[in-house]
Amino acid sequence: MTANSVISANALSVHIDQRTILDNLNFEVGKGEVFALLGGNGAGKSTTLKTFLGLMKPSTGSASVMGLSVAEHTNEVQKSVAYLPESVTLYGHLSGLENIRYFLSVAGIEKSDDEVFAALRKVALQKASWNNALSNYSKGMRQKTAIALALLRNAPVLFLDEPTSGLDPAAIDEFNALVSELAANGATIFMVTHDVYGACQVAHRIVLLSNGKVTGSFERVGDTPIDTEAVHAAFAGRKA
Amino acid sequence: MMRFTDLKREAGFVFGHRQIKLTLLVVFLLSTVSLWSGYAEMQEQQATIERLLEKDQIEREAVITHQSNYGMVAYYAFHLTYAPPSPLAFAAVGERDVFPWKHRIRMLALEGQIYESDTDNPELAFLGRFDFAFVTSVLLPLFIILLLYDLKAKEREARRFELLNVTARNAHAIWSARALVTLVPLALVTLIPFVFFGLVNGASLPSILTVCAIVIGNIALWSGIVLSIGAAKRFANFSATHLASIMLGVWIVTTVVVPVTAHTLINAVVETPEGGDIVLTQREAVNSAWDKPVEATWRAFIATHPQWADYTTFNPGRDSSFNWKWYYAFQQVGDQAASELSQGYQAATLQKDTIASYVALLSPSLLSQRLLSSAANTDVKAMVGYENDVRAFHQALRKFYYYHLFKAPEFSQENFEALPQFTPNTKTSHENRTGKEE
Amino acid sequence: MIINVAKTICADQWRYWLRTKVAATVLMLGAILTLAALVVNAFHIEEAAHAREHLQTEAEARFKAQPDKHPHRMVHYGHYVFRAPTPLSVIEPGVDTYTGKAIFLEGHRQNSAMFAQQRQSAGLTRFSSLTPSFLALVLAPLFIILIGYGSVSREREAGTLTLLLSQGTSRWQLILGKLLALISASSLFLLPLLLACLYVAFSSESPLVVLLFCLSYAVYFLLWATVVTACSALFEKSSVSFIVFIVIWMAVCVLLPRLGSSVATNAAPSIGKLEADFKVEEKLRSLGDGHDVNDPAFKKLKEDLLAKYNVDSVDDLPVNFRGVVAQYSEGRQAKVLNEFAEKRMGEELEQAYIARQFGWLSPTVAVRAISTILAGTSLETHHRFLKEAEALRLEFVQGLNKVHVEKLDYTLDMNRNASEEAADKAVVGADNWALLSEFSFKPEAENTRISNALIYFLQQFFWVCISALLLKAAVRRLNP
Repeated sequence: MTANSVISANALSVHIDQRTILDNLNFEVGKGEVFALLGGNGAGKSTTLKTFLGLMKPSTGSASVMGLSVAEHTNEVQKSVAYLPESVTLYGHLSGLENIRYFLSVAGIEKSDDEVFAALRKVALQKASWNNALSNYSKGMRQKTAIALALLRNAPVLFLDEPTSGLDPAAIDEFNALVSELAANGATIFMVTHDVYGACQVAHRIVLLSNGKVTGSFERVGDTPIDTEAVHAAFAGRKA
Repeated sequence: MMRFTDLKREAGFVFGHRQIKLTLLVVFLLSTVSLWSGYAEMQEQQATIERLLEKDQIEREAVITHQSNYGMVAYYAFHLTYAPPSPLAFAAVGERDVFPWKHRIRMLALEGQIYESDTDNPELAFLGRFDFAFVTSVLLPLFIILLLYDLKAKEREARRFELLNVTARNAHAIWSARALVTLVPLALVTLIPFVFFGLVNGASLPSILTVCAIVIGNIALWSGIVLSIGAAKRFANFSATHLASIMLGVWIVTTVVVPVTAHTLINAVVETPEGGDIVLTQREAVNSAWDKPVEATWRAFIATHPQWADYTTFNPGRDSSFNWKWYYAFQQVGDQAASELSQGYQAATLQKDTIASYVALLSPSLLSQRLLSSAANTDVKAMVGYENDVRAFHQALRKFYYYHLFKAPEFSQENFEALPQFTPNTKTSHENRTGKEE
Repeated sequence: MIINVAKTICADQWRYWLRTKVAATVLMLGAILTLAALVVNAFHIEEAAHAREHLQTEAEARFKAQPDKHPHRMVHYGHYVFRAPTPLSVIEPGVDTYTGKAIFLEGHRQNSAMFAQQRQSAGLTRFSSLTPSFLALVLAPLFIILIGYGSVSREREAGTLTLLLSQGTSRWQLILGKLLALISASSLFLLPLLLACLYVAFSSESPLVVLLFCLSYAVYFLLWATVVTACSALFEKSSVSFIVFIVIWMAVCVLLPRLGSSVATNAAPSIGKLEADFKVEEKLRSLGDGHDVNDPAFKKLKEDLLAKYNVDSVDDLPVNFRGVVAQYSEGRQAKVLNEFAEKRMGEELEQAYIARQFGWLSPTVAVRAISTILAGTSLETHHRFLKEAEALRLEFVQGLNKVHVEKLDYTLDMNRNASEEAADKAVVGADNWALLSEFSFKPEAENTRISNALIYFLQQFFWVCISALLLKAAVRRLNP
């Protein structure tokens, strides 16, 4: 583990009921990097995510965030981490604004109205819908609300679970732009996805996960996005 | 640690749901209506007692002025005995609609009078009463289930559970705050009407607080059951409605199955004399006295009343034309003949009640109902206590009349000023009556 | 054609139930409980019937076995009658445990019934009882809800609703299939009840009554199955329909019956027997004391009698004047007592009617009324018991008075208190006690019971219509 790494997995293994879900994972994510974990269904992506969020304990090895072992310092880690779940079902009966205020309060963070509005503008959520009930939002709009929340928490690390699933191409582009901007501003982003194209656009590092093992690793060179074809071939190739 | 901000936020959150407000309104209405209904009924009972007392007095005076010897007065004069509703009886009707709480007693054999019952319309008793005790013991747990069953399951099903746990500074605080913010208003809407009616009815503050404690205890107990089922690891993947079904199952088992099973078992186990046997025995003893020689009756009577041994002779010239002394003596002997069965009957009633109190430990609803009846003095013990008060009064009556019949002072109406009056017991006693006469 | 598809859907619903733990548990629990209730209750009723029959026989035997004595003493010796349970009490004991089962019949008084079973129950059965009727009326609907609340909504939630409808399954076929499944499940609870009815039908109970009795319960289950299926289709989410059902169940089965009872108490308070006794006594006082021959109230009676037999003093009458007075005053007393008894029974009936009006708000109340009336365990039957007991009382008391009038010499009678020998002479033969009739209580004739229950059949029919309307609405609005 290099001193620079914000997120690191060190011989991380998770066993449940005699089954090996994760087998000896090793990777690192530095500050300001976007990291994408690619894998098919049942590869172990959710388990990896849960382990870094402190919702699951590693059987052997360790998962660390900001230099702290997640398993041992769960509370502290959770304070510096923001999480965007896959199905962004916040509270349907509350408006976008009310949802954010609620979750900020739950996190024990106080933000002024101006700061909240600024975050909402930053994620480009139309002002007209700020006070509408969340049940009326499209998936993309809900997505933006959740990201605004993550922003307001000023968390140095963001964990995203299948962030682009269900979004139309325009929304995906908006999302990717936002992620790049956040990373440029110093946030470390850990993304779990099976969207090859989107991952290649935005990630500095891509790791392929299959049956709990790392089966491939790609890194961005300079400013050129990672080669989509190569990743796709590697991703699909193992299936053949 | 839960902070005030947590409470405030969760309060706003919980009350943002229309469902919660509706539920609390319904509980408030149920509580109020049940209390008002009980209150009106007890007012009615109180008014009845007053009317009866008045008439009772008039009747008795008419008899006293109309008759000319003690024997006749004792035969015709009735006395009203009653158990007035306690200040809390409006909240828990208890056994008052099944056991009698008023009698008209005269000097004749008690065993032939005391089982008469001027009880309420049996069909209404069969349907049951909608009183406060029912609402808090039987219905409130259902509401608690409805309010709390999906506390965590709802978040899990909506996939917000992980988000909340990760985002929260203190995850436990959310759940405790939500539960508390639901339960405290529930307790308030249930208890505030009760406190109001209790004060209006003149109940003492300690007794009001006792009932509040019982209700809060019941709420706490059921909340514990519901929340622990909701949080159990074993049920972590169950849907919210599945969890609710389990909780309803617990409610059914404790509220329905346990009491009725216990009832069947207790009845099979505890020996109870047949009521019909008591009255048949007593009647036989009383009526056969007419055919037996007078000495036989006196023997049995003097055995328990040695103080009158020298006064048993009958002089038709001096005493009235009919041998009243002997008449009342064999009435008493009839009672004595049936006393073993009668005491057994009462003992069986009390024993079954005692066993039921142990059964109540397995059923929160039953326990709560029993505690409330006990606080309101409307439980089995209180009603048996009233029966024993009647017996004690009958004894006092007999003591009075025995003096006047045996010592045979001149008949005068002033002597009747010493006639015992029935005083209702505000603090009921339920100790088994002793067989010893004095 | 419609039936085939419906049958398939029905079969699939059963498969779902048998594979889900909740449904299987509920079905099993329900079946066990119903069976247990039947057995226990049947045992109870059999025991009670035997005990009361035995006591009745004994009471009659003791009366007839009394030795020679003064007939008026027999009037005070009195008689006991015990109410035997009706055949259908096995399923619906009704007010049986709340009313006393024994009445003491004597001259000059109408007593109330004694020894209600509930007093020995330590309050354990005030909310629920292990009777088949309670299980059927209160618990079975809950079970039906627990297994059926999601029958249609789960299809919608799983997305299979769209699949089914797009394949050409009509809405009616779908709903009908679900309904059939739920009906067949609920008939599991009905089965023990039907068996019991069958058993009873071969005893002394009228077959028509038993048939109607069964039918009303069957319709009740049908009602609930229909409502549950319909609402399951009307609500989009299973969780919502579940809550709504539990609330409905609580209101309909638990709350409203009791509310009806409390409303009846408050709306039509009855003055109770004790208070009525005062009024009776006031009135009786004006009628004269039947024990005192010289009471001025009987002056006219005496004059008429003297005139009739053309004698100058009562000693010369061929009949016993004391007996005549006793007979006459007993007759007048009985009239007054009955007047007040009828009034009190009227008040109680009025209360019962008010409580039963809640049948328009709750089918449980309606079916309970039908059930208790048909089974002969309702208030009406209890009143009939009181009336028959009174009729027996008057019959044997006046019979004894007649013996007093005709067979006991007046002079002997008037001197009975002079000495023990005189007392022994003032008696009549024990063979006179045979005038006591046997008391065997049966519920009202089937026509009476059925006509008493007519309005409640109407209430049940009303609910059937409501549920049919709900079903229709559900089918019409079934959209994926």
